[in-house]
Amino acid sequence: MTGPVRDRRAATGDGGRGCPAGPLDLPHASPIGQLRQREPFPDAARVALRDSQLRANLGRATATIRAKRAAAVGEVPDWEALRLAGAAVKDDALDRLDELLATFSERVERAGGHVHVARDAAEANGIVCRLVAETGVGEVVKVKSMTTQEIGLNDALSAAGVHAVETDLAELIVQLADDLPSHILVPAIHRNRSEIRQIFLDHMPGVDPALADEPEALAAAARRYLRDRFLHASVAISSANFAVAETGTLVVVESEGNGRMCLTLPETLISVVGIEKLVASWADLGIFFQLLPRSSTAERMNPYTSTWTGVTPGDGPRNLHVVLVDNGRRATRADPIGREALRCIRCSACLNVCPVYERVGGHAYGSAYPGPIGAVLSPQLTGIEDNWSLPFASTLCGACYEVCPVRIDIPDLLVELRARHVEHARTKAKGAARRRAGDALEAAVMAASGWMMGGPRRWAAATRVVGTLSPLAARGLLDHLPPPLAGWTESRALPPLPRESFRAWWVRTQGGRDIDGAPVPAPAPTPTQLPAPMPTQLPVPSRARDLPVGTPTPAAAGSASARPSPPVSAGASAAALLARFAERLADYGSGVWFTEEEGVAAAVAGRVRGGLVLAAPGLDPAWLAGVPGAAHDDPSRPAPELDAVATAVTACRLAIAETGTIVLDHRDDQGRRALSLVPDHHVCIIRAEQIVAGVVEAVEALDPARPLTWISGPSATSDIELRRVVGVHGPRRLDAILLGAPEDLPPSAEPAPPRPSAAPPTPAGGASPSADSSRRYRPGLRASR
Amino acid sequence: MRVALFVTCLADALFPDVGRATVAVLRRAGCEVEFPLGQVCCGQMHANSGYRREALALVRRHTEVFSAFDAVVTPSGSCAAAARHQHATIATRAGDEDLADAARALAGKTYELSEFLTDVLGVVDLGASFPHRVTYHPTCHSTRLLHLGERPLTLLRHVRGLELAPLPDASTCCGFGGTFAVKNADTSTAMLADKMAAVRASGAEYVTAADASCLMHIGGGLARLRTGVRPIHLAEILAAREGGAGA
Ligand code: SF4
Repeated sequence: MTGPVRDRRAATGDGGRGCPAGPLDLPHASPIGQLRQREPFPDAARVALRDSQLRANLGRATATIRAKRAAAVGEVPDWEALRLAGAAVKDDALDRLDELLATFSERVERAGGHVHVARDAAEANGIVCRLVAETGVGEVVKVKSMTTQEIGLNDALSAAGVHAVETDLAELIVQLADDLPSHILVPAIHRNRSEIRQIFLDHMPGVDPALADEPEALAAAARRYLRDRFLHASVAISSANFAVAETGTLVVVESEGNGRMCLTLPETLISVVGIEKLVASWADLGIFFQLLPRSSTAERMNPYTSTWTGVTPGDGPRNLHVVLVDNGRRATRADPIGREALRCIRCSACLNVCPVYERVGGHAYGSAYPGPIGAVLSPQLTGIEDNWSLPFASTLCGACYEVCPVRIDIPDLLVELRARHVEHARTKAKGAARRRAGDALEAAVMAASGWMMGGPRRWAAATRVVGTLSPLAARGLLDHLPPPLAGWTESRALPPLPRESFRAWWVRTQGGRDIDGAPVPAPAPTPTQLPAPMPTQLPVPSRARDLPVGTPTPAAAGSASARPSPPVSAGASAAALLARFAERLADYGSGVWFTEEEGVAAAVAGRVRGGLVLAAPGLDPAWLAGVPGAAHDDPSRPAPELDAVATAVTACRLAIAETGTIVLDHRDDQGRRALSLVPDHHVCIIRAEQIVAGVVEAVEALDPARPLTWISGPSATSDIELRRVVGVHGPRRLDAILLGAPEDLPPSAEPAPPRPSAAPPTPAGGASPSADSSRRYRPGLRASR
Repeated sequence: MRVALFVTCLADALFPDVGRATVAVLRRAGCEVEFPLGQVCCGQMHANSGYRREALALVRRHTEVFSAFDAVVTPSGSCAAAARHQHATIATRAGDEDLADAARALAGKTYELSEFLTDVLGVVDLGASFPHRVTYHPTCHSTRLLHLGERPLTLLRHVRGLELAPLPDASTCCGFGGTFAVKNADTSTAMLADKMAAVRASGAEYVTAADASCLMHIGGGLARLRTGVRPIHLAEILAAREGGAGA
């Protein structure tokens, strides 16, 4: 396919000046970066539409994700209430932006981080480049980030002599191919597996020439290529999905584990965060951790979510810089209609359902933000005239609004932006914009039709013209009209034109007297009281807290396709929570095992397949008794040494039944973040009483001051044709050992298979664990609770 | 009950049969139908193309013409949606709160035809007969703005002889989108191609919908390809009687 052209000038926003120290005293500049279309959408789309491979790739991928999303969302009975809550939380944060920014900055500084403020792309790039230059490195690792795409950071870094390695699989594919991302979540969605294989063969140093085009093989190649870079990087750059004001916490939501690598291993972490990412309170995350994963990857929970507050001694980066970026956001916020777009949590659901996006792909939008949200966000951030054709790139079918988890009324915003463009062209535009032939002609047509429709007489006269054209149409003389109607007649016939309009007929027949209006056999009684039309707008609460999340709304009722199991309630029994958690965690492809207290050591030993076994420093030594040579981690040892470890054993802080999620807060019995990340196998021991019902209960129970890792299954990616591949950068195997009282454990679980002979058990120390009596979760257990 | 027919500018000028069929169906269901001659257009095309000055004038006219009636019925999901969701906003953004109030009141008694028949009149069997294989395209605005859902299908299921053929990927937009079809003709055509493929895959002889505009687009494509599948408005099927005596 035709590669899009990078706007190198836009990258630094300063005509290629590169990347000197951040000039914080610049006059307010207009936003810059990769936000501007280089050609009008219809022209760019025409090129994309000719690429049949692209259309096939996109069609397949978006159809897959649409179906998955519908199922994931259908499982949540209060989805509509959640959407309202998400919108309300974001609106509230936008209302109180300055207050929240001040609180956030103060909290970050107090927790040992440094906050920088950038008004536009050039300032942000300048700050990041200066921070990187101070560390003296020539290479940084990066977590996938829309904000750094938007500001064109990679090109700015490159101009400053720093190579930024993209570590998200799809971003890596895009970077290796010197391509541009075409989707918010899956930037290489426009590529299929054989194209990706070719890109790796051509551009990935040290790649195996016999590389297969299976997604598993491609993901494994990326893992090999990036592992060394993670282990030895000293600077990482991320953005954040959310920034919590009251606690100064940043959040990154991801799948592959590359995020955890970047957020944990390097000494310096620079997080570039758009100011619209702020939410007021920690509890707000309970809403977004439900909305985001189900809307974006269509999962109950994404494999990994990391939250961190400042710097944690002995765990993770020692230097944290947060760069808060405006780049047009304040101007957008000041717009009473357009500000709604700043609610966006970049889930990409609107792209996946957009019929226009599905046909033309992301590049035609010419901006870091493609699809429906790009069509409103890009023109808002740059000013309408720099992206004037984007708001017209929609049929206003409304599919985007229907799925948007924060209820951004994208069609309404598109119409508003269209009106602003038209008004601009009418009043202010000079030169080229005014002379743009299409615009002028259209304005004339609209004005003429507006006049014609100004009254019934003029309109009746106009409809009579149709009658006079009717014989011409019948003879095929109107089959090919000149521009701008050529676009219509090229692929569509005009309908046969009537000789008489409806109104002419009505008048002539004195109200349609010639109509057969005989009543139907059994005329229904006519109610005297008219029922009001279907309400289609739900009341929007002023504050999210006012919302009874948990109350099913009419719109949600019956929307679920299959009958999903109802959510477990907060008051559910230990057995019910355990059963639901096991079912949900196993769904991600994790091993799930049940045991009573005495069986833990044997259960741990039964999961080990040889190699070095390292446990969290505070883990009960009795639990390791079945594994000879198992040691406790010494956090002062450099993290890269963990690469030699085969299995890490930890406890957890809590677990979530509804989503099958394990949360670590990295206290002593769980170890530093790197411990459960670098080794390829993670064994986690969970006590039944640690399991809570849902995400909201978990957020409530957790301490935001601790670094938190939310784990939902093994690392995974769907970056290649949206097919889920288990195992990328984080552990490829996850075994959960669920420890409960005999009466809480499911009755009919089968015993564990015999231990593989590779790691024969030799009881160590004084303990002598019996044979592994833990029982593996099998899907059929769902019913036994 | 004084029921006003809002025939829509498109049906008035290009598809008068749709208007005649709507009159026939409403009369058979026991309504007295009036056609206020002052009506012209709901202003949707102007509004959606960014020409709000022109749209505002049309909204004002529409509101004046129809406010006195008990109910306004239109054979278009899209135009019903414009009255219901767009008119008050247009007025508010133009700073005319009186008009916005009037538009909201009118929105509360504006109905798309199938909605009026099933919800207000409680009629699902119009005594219609249409012995053909028909597929139904749920247009975007009738689906996502009006939430018509099963209503049109329920009506179709009561038509004698009619065999309802399921449409693959039914809820996907056909690519019309008003001026979109002209401004982004290539993308529109690509979407149309997929919709036509779905219609043909359904094996139907007719494709029907609650909007003449989308049908003009889909039907235009089908005619250009000489597929033999014909577009027909929902009202026309409901008005069809045994022996072909329709509207
Ligand atoms: S606009 Fe809504 S649906 Fe689209 S990416 Fe943003 S949050 Fe998701």
